[in-house]
Amino acid sequence: MFDLSSRISKIVFGGLLVVIGFYLFFPIYWMITSALKNNAELYQIIPTFFPHEITFSHFWSAIAESRLLVYLGNSLITSGASATINTILAIYAGYSFAKYRYAGRQPIMLFMLSAQMFPFGLLLISLYPVMTSLGLLDTRPGLILSYIVFALPVATYMLYSYFSQVPDELIDAARADGASDLRIFHTIVLPISVPPIVTVFLYSFMWSWNDLLYSLTLIVSEDKRTIGPGLLLTYLNETNADWGGAMAASLLVSLPIVIAFMFLQRYFIQGVTAGAVK
Amino acid sequence: MSSDTAGPVPTRIEDYPVSRHARRGGLQAVQRRIGLLMLAPAAIAFAVVILYPFGQALALSLFEDTLQSITPTFIGLRNFEQVLTDPEVWGSFGTTVIYVGCSTLGTLVLGLGWALLLNQKFRGRGVIRALTLMPWVVPSTVSAFIWAWIFNSRFGLINGLLLELHLIQVPQAWLSTPEGAMLAVILTRVWRSIPLFMAFFLAGLQNVDTEQLDAARVDGAGNFAILRDHVLPHLRPVLIVVVVLGVIGGLQDFDTIYALTGGGPVRATAVLSVEVYRKAFEQWDVGMASAIGVLWVATLLPPAFFYLRLLVRR
Repeated sequence: MFDLSSRISKIVFGGLLVVIGFYLFFPIYWMITSALKNNAELYQIIPTFFPHEITFSHFWSAIAESRLLVYLGNSLITSGASATINTILAIYAGYSFAKYRYAGRQPIMLFMLSAQMFPFGLLLISLYPVMTSLGLLDTRPGLILSYIVFALPVATYMLYSYFSQVPDELIDAARADGASDLRIFHTIVLPISVPPIVTVFLYSFMWSWNDLLYSLTLIVSEDKRTIGPGLLLTYLNETNADWGGAMAASLLVSLPIVIAFMFLQRYFIQGVTAGAVK
Repeated sequence: MSSDTAGPVPTRIEDYPVSRHARRGGLQAVQRRIGLLMLAPAAIAFAVVILYPFGQALALSLFEDTLQSITPTFIGLRNFEQVLTDPEVWGSFGTTVIYVGCSTLGTLVLGLGWALLLNQKFRGRGVIRALTLMPWVVPSTVSAFIWAWIFNSRFGLINGLLLELHLIQVPQAWLSTPEGAMLAVILTRVWRSIPLFMAFFLAGLQNVDTEQLDAARVDGAGNFAILRDHVLPHLRPVLIVVVVLGVIGGLQDFDTIYALTGGGPVRATAVLSVEVYRKAFEQWDVGMASAIGVLWVATLLPPAFFYLRLLVRR
């Protein structure tokens, strides 16, 4: 797009690449190296750029002495379940909006979308008594259900904009052959929609995986806590913050989702931006 | 008793066995029903976890509902009266404007810059693009941890760097000063949001007409002129979407601030989301919390309306 043959443009290009790149990536590097330093090296006024001596003790203590694995397991269960539910709901709702005409279709869709702007904290105020009266306070199903709040509107919209692009001729041809609508959807449309479905699943998963607010409020017992509040209450509420442990734990809980994204990022970027860019 | 298999003799035209579709008013009616059936599960879930709580919160804002009150009592608009005359709530609005404004603007500039850089072809570009997603996908608590450690009052990276450069003489407690805390939460928010903005801009850049750019270059346009006259105008629609999404995301953001500063020092970083949480779940003043939340919705409505109109127009 830009002509970088002149020297000045090369310098500007390289300079900006280094500066913004430093801002984006150095904190990640800092998390990794801080996790690998021993305490003597970690708690120096002037920090070392490379760890002089690499130690894995923070990782072992994060795993052995805290409930990190319990939190991770809880996060996997709640995020996985809520993402699955969300994806299934969004698949059908998105297809319905895209391919069927009925009274109120447009207003319902707009209203669902606008729910993205309802403050999550405000919804939580009323979700709390709802969950209490259903007996779902401090339970994983309660948290899983509440997580629908975060991602359902956008997930539905993303799948709606994808399904809108599926040619009607494809569906009409199958209909002419006598296939029922549900059959057409399940055997013809769904198999060609794997990439956007993966995107929506990841999107929903990430919302729940990152959540702090809902889990902090709706979960009380330590054995059901997820990573967000788990990490916060383990490492920052003590008088002596254990930064080595905090960085090691941060690294460990980030790994699953970072790895998943490295593999699926192409789909993801296409899917998330598809509706907005055309 | 006659045999059941024969069934009643048709007396009205509707009862004659015709095609399933025709009988119920044609193919369209059947399809309408299938469409509604497919929508139903999502609509029910939506009503239970979003719509009902929202309506409930609207109603609660008209009640006095604190730990002291045994049952909520209807007090009309008095919560709003109290909220609107409360300097702390106004302060919270101001803090929110600064936080959301600065972080959206910062992300916009850096996200656009990063997208333009990564749109050029160079070796290692694919790897950098993939790695760029990392700040976005790490859990929000983790990003708060990283930045809290960088800003640490004794052993933080920033203190270390500034001491090395002799810009400060003793380590500073950045997060204990209002400005330092605000800077830290904004830097964290921008850091987390750049990847998504970049993704949107990169997608928008794919549609730039390269022939038009080549023609402009033949006419003697430099890089800056190309950017100003061709690339930026082309990105305008994406720009609007990104700004609206950024504002909404910033307003919703609770995690970054709660984990990094808890809204402090004192109230320096207490944005509306933190304020609602504190009122509702620390002071258990549900009526007041709802009133603040409702005012917050009112501030969200203009960008929301703008955003929805954009989506509908397409």
